[in-house]
Amino acid sequence: MDELELLKKDWKRREGSLPKLSYDEIYKMILKKSSSIVKWIFIVSILEFVLWTSLDLILRFLGVYDPTEGTYLEVFTYISYFFSYGILFYFMVKFYLNYKRIKVTDSAKELMHNIIKTRKTVKHYVFINLSFLAIFSFISVFLVYYSDSVDPAAEELPLPVLIITSIILISIFIGLIALLYRVVYGVLTRRLKRNYEELESLDE
Amino acid sequence: MDKELEHKFVKKLEENQNIVHKVCRIYTNDRESHNDLFQEITIQLWKAYPKFRGDSKFSTWMYRVALNTAITLYRKSKRSIKTSDVDFMEFKIKAEEYDDEIEQQLKLMYAAVKELNDIEKALVFLYLEDKSYKDISETLGITEVNARVRMNRVKTKLKNILNP
Repeated sequence: MDELELLKKDWKRREGSLPKLSYDEIYKMILKKSSSIVKWIFIVSILEFVLWTSLDLILRFLGVYDPTEGTYLEVFTYISYFFSYGILFYFMVKFYLNYKRIKVTDSAKELMHNIIKTRKTVKHYVFINLSFLAIFSFISVFLVYYSDSVDPAAEELPLPVLIITSIILISIFIGLIALLYRVVYGVLTRRLKRNYEELESLDE
Repeated sequence: MDKELEHKFVKKLEENQNIVHKVCRIYTNDRESHNDLFQEITIQLWKAYPKFRGDSKFSTWMYRVALNTAITLYRKSKRSIKTSDVDFMEFKIKAEEYDDEIEQQLKLMYAAVKELNDIEKALVFLYLEDKSYKDISETLGITEVNARVRMNRVKTKLKNILNP
């Protein structure tokens, strides 16, 4: 087929007009791994949202919240919802924006800046979430203690015992959640850190 | 160790980047998708690099991975490229070297190639790269006979597109 031969000649001739990327430009492409890590941070936050929501729905379905109906504990539950979902939602949006930003980044400097930003967001998220959990767990323990509708047996405990027991239990609980965060988000942020260091060495 | 591997890989890719650009040229129509595909192929090459043992030439291996990436992406997105989408601007270089008739013919040929499916494009690409049927069969993982048969079909198809 003559046309194909003609095309072949033209194809060869065009080789000169192909784009030429530098070593650094190619190197940065393989560092784009960062963008997929940041995407995972966003996905994990969505999964977390789904996890908490379904856990809450299951508890509700099992009737765990029933005794609180009509009491100030119910009001408190709603307030805590407002805050916990508010926090989660706010950070989901932030994670998403981080991902969007990092996806279009094309200079190493900017990428480094965005990596720092993302790591900071994750740190804030973990810190705020854990503090929120600690504070609200404490408040709820005391609300249950002073509420007569929930558990009459709880009232028989002396106050210092209650305080010490709840501190221990809440610390264990927060510790477990912190460990979970460390595993999930820790792995991702460590990878980001590694990419950051590679970028830094490239910049030198 | 990792760093050394990275350096070696980037160096080799830099030397052989033309192959990837040419694959992008066959499969995409504009600069933006060209760059996207280049990036994707680079990442796939990098992922596959630790498994590259050097029993084949780096460039041969690159042809294989690059084409596989392009074919897979093409299938995933099920993008069908309309002839009208083809950016002819890319082909309008040094027009004075050709007479109008040949230039017109080339335009039509490139447009016809863009109408081929993912595998057919790969065949034409390797043909344009002046690869032997043996090389084509190895790169695409088909038998030599099959490569010949398919290439003949592609030629017929191109003829039909050009002379409907």
